[in-house]
Amino acid sequence: MIKFTRNIKRTLSINLFNGLLTLAILLIIGLGFIFTLNWLIFSANWKVVTLNLPLYAFGSFPVDQRWRPALWIISLLSLSVITLIGPNRKWLRKSLPLAWIATLPLGIYLLSGGLGLPMVMSRHWGGLSLTILLTECSLLFALPLGIFLALGRQSELPLVKTLSSIYIDSMRAVPLIAVLFFGQLLIPLFLPIGVEIDRVWRAIFAFTLFVSAYIAEDIRGGLQAIPNTQIEAAATLGLNQFQITHFILIPQALRIALPALTNQAIGLFQNTSLMAILGLIELLGIGRSLLANPEFIGRYIEVYIWLASVYWLFCTFMAVLARHLEKRLAIQKTNI
Amino acid sequence: MSKKLTYQIVVLFLLAILLSILINNLSINLSRSGLQLSFSWLLRPASFALAENPLPYSPSDTYAWALFMGWLNSLKVILSSLILATFIGVFIGIVRTVGNSVLGFLAAIYITLIRQTPLLLQLMFWYFVAFLGLKDSIFMPIKGMISISNKGIEFLGLSLSSEFSALLFGLSVFTGAYIAEVVRGGILSVSRGQWEAFRSLGFSEINGLFKIIIPQALPAIIPGLTSQYLNLAKNSTLAIAVGYSDIYAINDTVINQTGRTIESFIILLSSFFLLNLLISNLMEVINKITLNSKKI
Amino acid sequence: MRRLISGMIGLSMLLGGCATTSQENISRLDLIKKRNELICGVSGKIPGFSFMGSDGSYQGLDVDICKAFAAAFLGDASKVQYRPLTAAERFTAIKTGEIDLLSRNTTFTLSRDSSAGNGLSFAPVVFHDGQGLMVKRESQITNIKGLANKSICVGSGTTTEQNINDAFESQSLPYQPIKYQDLNQVVAGYLQGRCSAMTSDRSQLAAARSGFKNPEDHIILDDVLSKEPLAPASDGRDFLLADAMRWVIFSLISAEEQGITKANILEKVKFATDNPQLKPLRRFLGIEGDLGEKIGLGNDFVVKVISSTGNYGEIYNRHLGSNSEVPIPRGLNNLYTNGGVHIAPPFN
Repeated sequence: MIKFTRNIKRTLSINLFNGLLTLAILLIIGLGFIFTLNWLIFSANWKVVTLNLPLYAFGSFPVDQRWRPALWIISLLSLSVITLIGPNRKWLRKSLPLAWIATLPLGIYLLSGGLGLPMVMSRHWGGLSLTILLTECSLLFALPLGIFLALGRQSELPLVKTLSSIYIDSMRAVPLIAVLFFGQLLIPLFLPIGVEIDRVWRAIFAFTLFVSAYIAEDIRGGLQAIPNTQIEAAATLGLNQFQITHFILIPQALRIALPALTNQAIGLFQNTSLMAILGLIELLGIGRSLLANPEFIGRYIEVYIWLASVYWLFCTFMAVLARHLEKRLAIQKTNI
Repeated sequence: MSKKLTYQIVVLFLLAILLSILINNLSINLSRSGLQLSFSWLLRPASFALAENPLPYSPSDTYAWALFMGWLNSLKVILSSLILATFIGVFIGIVRTVGNSVLGFLAAIYITLIRQTPLLLQLMFWYFVAFLGLKDSIFMPIKGMISISNKGIEFLGLSLSSEFSALLFGLSVFTGAYIAEVVRGGILSVSRGQWEAFRSLGFSEINGLFKIIIPQALPAIIPGLTSQYLNLAKNSTLAIAVGYSDIYAINDTVINQTGRTIESFIILLSSFFLLNLLISNLMEVINKITLNSKKI
Repeated sequence: MRRLISGMIGLSMLLGGCATTSQENISRLDLIKKRNELICGVSGKIPGFSFMGSDGSYQGLDVDICKAFAAAFLGDASKVQYRPLTAAERFTAIKTGEIDLLSRNTTFTLSRDSSAGNGLSFAPVVFHDGQGLMVKRESQITNIKGLANKSICVGSGTTTEQNINDAFESQSLPYQPIKYQDLNQVVAGYLQGRCSAMTSDRSQLAAARSGFKNPEDHIILDDVLSKEPLAPASDGRDFLLADAMRWVIFSLISAEEQGITKANILEKVKFATDNPQLKPLRRFLGIEGDLGEKIGLGNDFVVKVISSTGNYGEIYNRHLGSNSEVPIPRGLNNLYTNGGVHIAPPFN
């Protein structure tokens, strides 16, 4: 009985304290909200955003060709929505991964032109479309490389194992900006005279080198989580090493590593902003260029808030998409 | 010859070919531009001033000394962000797990805001909006103890430049959001029974959390913490965006003045390996201490 | 197995051989022509010199110089690819061949020109500038001495950084440099009150000030910390490209000396064609002689240049003239006949 009253007392005092705290916090949030709203509507000058929306989206892409990056972004978004809804037709669901991979050549074709479309040099690529291109390209290249490195690190061949480990560990020890700096300024020194690699592709190359080391570690985690009995079972079924790796190990490792891989993708999307320091005019770069324009001088808060919301929206969208995918893969697993 | 050995020789050869081509190209390109690799320029006077130097430095000191100042500046901001980020992370992590629901909601908003926007953008926000946005007004939350202006923070005689402060807050708030998730994961890994146990023993929530739960969560937390610390160190190179003279920023200046891109890049990489080594060894020691204390 | 190894040794030697025998003495000029496009390094962030407009295209004096080169090399001023570069990146970009040439507010100095330094080659000066200091009028600072112990916003990796150091050190004045990566951040730091003064080339100070809300609240001090002759640059090993660049710039100045403008160039060509006795004019416009060929260009390169960008004075007035957005008095940048220092050697 004594214990009971003590418990009640404790709960009450906690509740009282909790209630006061909640009230205080709500008050602060409310004040902050009113203040922010007031600023957003009355003090802020959104011209720096509204007047330059096409620049944020397409950079200095020729005006009459802007439909091309627009079409690409729209096709990516609609594909995401289709993935989210999760079509019931089996053939449609089966072709989704292929469709995703196909968006990459489509994007490169739409941006660079050729085959009937006028050519647009990569210096005109910019804004959100460049940010997305950098992310998607690097990710799709880094994934196979990462799998390769992860398998290499688990390999029975000591040389392959050592080399993979050295690569992965040293890549993970250096800052991204140093790798990007290498990509922009030092790669040309390693190429034969007369051979040039475009600046955007050098950036993609550097991102790929960097991200693949992180992806490799995530996939290695996935590989290690697969019980050995499965490999033994597969071997007794008569599958060879390649078949085991290809049909048993990789699909499962990818599924297990999916949350970690999603984080890599989101991180990569954000990190493309580092190219603003190294001279590409991607989404953040456009913001910095506009802030140098005498017309918009000093409009930092507006530009930064706008850019932050764009990045936030895209990253959150990617996270939602991935969580959805995880769930579906989990369901499929139980079905099997 | 065994199949395994053959594979390895093939790999070795391909690698050797690739390397020899790259090095060959490099030497051709270097000799063509008349730049031979050399480090003797490191001993020439740097002739640029620094805003912040932990040890005495003047523009007539050598490039090597200037680079060392950059390295110390990096170390300074990394270590202080590391401490602040840990505090933020632990606090938010605890609030997310056991706190008041409104507070928990706020913490969730903080985490999504910070994790879903680029760090570079956040740093620029801290510097150009939060600090420089103060213009000429001076903000004094506690009179006589702390004053914040666009020149930086004065705290009981300790003065921090606004560049350093922006980087410190930017990095700490960013890394804090990641550490919070690590801490939360660690706390959740401790079985629910432990909570019931200390409650029935009459421990208060806070007391029980720090005396019973967190010590048990530490082994799960420390590896995650180490990797976040290493990330923080790497991310500190974004200092260049807010005008703080870290190792990367000083390297940038040196490359511009001397044209020694490759040598400076090598120096940059080695200083990073050194920093990494320092942090991972430090964490190794901490790990050992916690493991030992657990045994006792 | 042995076959495999010997095959690989052969392959590696073949590849290695390919790399060493690649031609070393190709001029960048041929490469530009082959590519049919000029890659020009610019700043992209300095109003009046190179600046991205709201339509996403670059404008300014430096940009027009790129266009003049493209017109001379390729016959088409629009075949330029602009690479925005930070101050720290620019020389490495030339050295690695990332860009063909630099037209980016670069100060002509001995160590940048020398092969033991940055190993560049400079074209004639396109803008004579000097480093200055800008302060807020209300601060009542009138000269460099008033800035002792104050913080000064500087762009990093530029001669600016060294000059400010030299100027303060020679007078034993202590100061605190706040360094930013580019001018636009220097301006931000200064406007937001982080520094008591900002330093840069006086043209850039004027350009920046023209964009401020109240330009009259800021004054540029009379102290000139340095000479800043700004010139286009290219790789010092490439004499052909350097020669071509040199004479394209001189043609802009010479055209102004002779009163040849974008509007009257075709008239002048017709006039020179009809009057065989006007030897110097005919040589200049490439109607007779082979001056253009001597520097690896078409004989009519001057016509191509002037008809696309106009002469030096026209370029100047377009971007820095009194009716432009960034008015800077011509001063030293006038022709020698008008009290300036621009003069072109004879086209003989």
